[in-house]
Amino acid sequence: MEMDKAKIDELVAKYNEGLCDPEELGQVERLVEEGKIQLTDLKELTKLEEHLHRLIEPTPSKQLDSRFYEMLAGQTQRVAPEQFMWSWFSSKAWFPKFSIGVSLLVAGFAGGMLIQKNAGGHEVVKLSGEVAELKEVVMLSMLEKESATDRLKAVSLSSEIEGKSNRVTEALIKTLNSDPSVNVRLAALDALQPYAKASSVREALVRSISQQDSPLVQVALADLMATLQEKSSVTELKKLLKQRSTPKEVKKRIEENIKVLI
Amino acid sequence: MAKVRDGDPERLGLLYERYKRPLLGFFVGMVRDKELSEDLVQNTFVRILKYKHLFRGDGDFRTWMYHIARNVKNDHFRKNKVAHDKVEFWEDKLGGEASHAVDLQSEEEARMIAVALDKLPDDKKEILLLSKYQEKKYKEIGEILGCSEGTVKVKVFRALQELKVIYKLVEKAM
Repeated sequence: MEMDKAKIDELVAKYNEGLCDPEELGQVERLVEEGKIQLTDLKELTKLEEHLHRLIEPTPSKQLDSRFYEMLAGQTQRVAPEQFMWSWFSSKAWFPKFSIGVSLLVAGFAGGMLIQKNAGGHEVVKLSGEVAELKEVVMLSMLEKESATDRLKAVSLSSEIEGKSNRVTEALIKTLNSDPSVNVRLAALDALQPYAKASSVREALVRSISQQDSPLVQVALADLMATLQEKSSVTELKKLLKQRSTPKEVKKRIEENIKVLI
Repeated sequence: MAKVRDGDPERLGLLYERYKRPLLGFFVGMVRDKELSEDLVQNTFVRILKYKHLFRGDGDFRTWMYHIARNVKNDHFRKNKVAHDKVEFWEDKLGGEASHAVDLQSEEEARMIAVALDKLPDDKKEILLLSKYQEKKYKEIGEILGCSEGTVKVKVFRALQELKVIYKLVEKAM
């Protein structure tokens, strides 16, 4: 039987007073299902639900972040140095916060630009150029920071810059040659790999071999030279072989790579 | 999510950051164990990545995510047919967080709500948690549960009715 609005209101009022009998409760339920009574009309329930909704949520632990980003890295991993990159991402779990920060910065900048100008094709091209430039500035300034974590972030940011300028590759090469942190140097080497097609970058990589004192970087460079089939690196690699300070394991690996190159 | 499906899995990081907290809240509400809930959050995202090709793209990611989360939770219960801890231990498992309330009139009230919620049967608890984390979007909840919007409203109504009764009992007992 259809119930008119006045009767529904009366029923709701009775419900809110807590005076409904079981039959009336059944009617309320049916009217809720039919959408004739909104749950928000039922004051006491709404109040209870609000309390429920305001219960604070538990905070996820750092381990959860680590596990998630480790899993994600497994999906998106690129070439070497695998282990280093994995532990780097997983141990700090900095990437999400950092990317969100940078995205917000870039989005804010882009938004501002769009408001100021009409977004015609030309402006869009100009804008993306400016965004890339902005990222470049951020990256270069972060490379100067004292904290190795910040410098790692800077190196990672470089991968987001489309059409890298010489300034970026030069900064990465400088980082590879002189950064005090081995991790940062390894990250810079990883970031430079996609640009190794450019002869200037390849030459710089070859020159970098003799400047490295870390066995990890030496091995990574020697491996890269073999991958790139960069025969001009053999002389530099042989220099490392002659050095007494070069660890035995590294020498062995370099010899293997030289064999591939010759 | 469409970008994740189309070959850009790194984007999942953004979705994870957006939803890890409510998803953890949903699981903690259901299983009352933070460590286990974190496992379930992780499993949910593993499954999202595994079945990303099944995301149609015409719907809401959150709805799809809770659909998967429910399956993860149900699978867990199926595999581990063990009785869960008593409600008394609930707060210990959460490291006391359950009793913290932002705007509630008192922490006591929040604690009573948490205890009452925990005493609800699983299906009722689940509908209320879905309503909380899906922000009362009953149509979407219907998609998750495979029923109509009207049915969802009735389920929420019944669950709140029962919660009200339990809450009053808890109030008296405390």
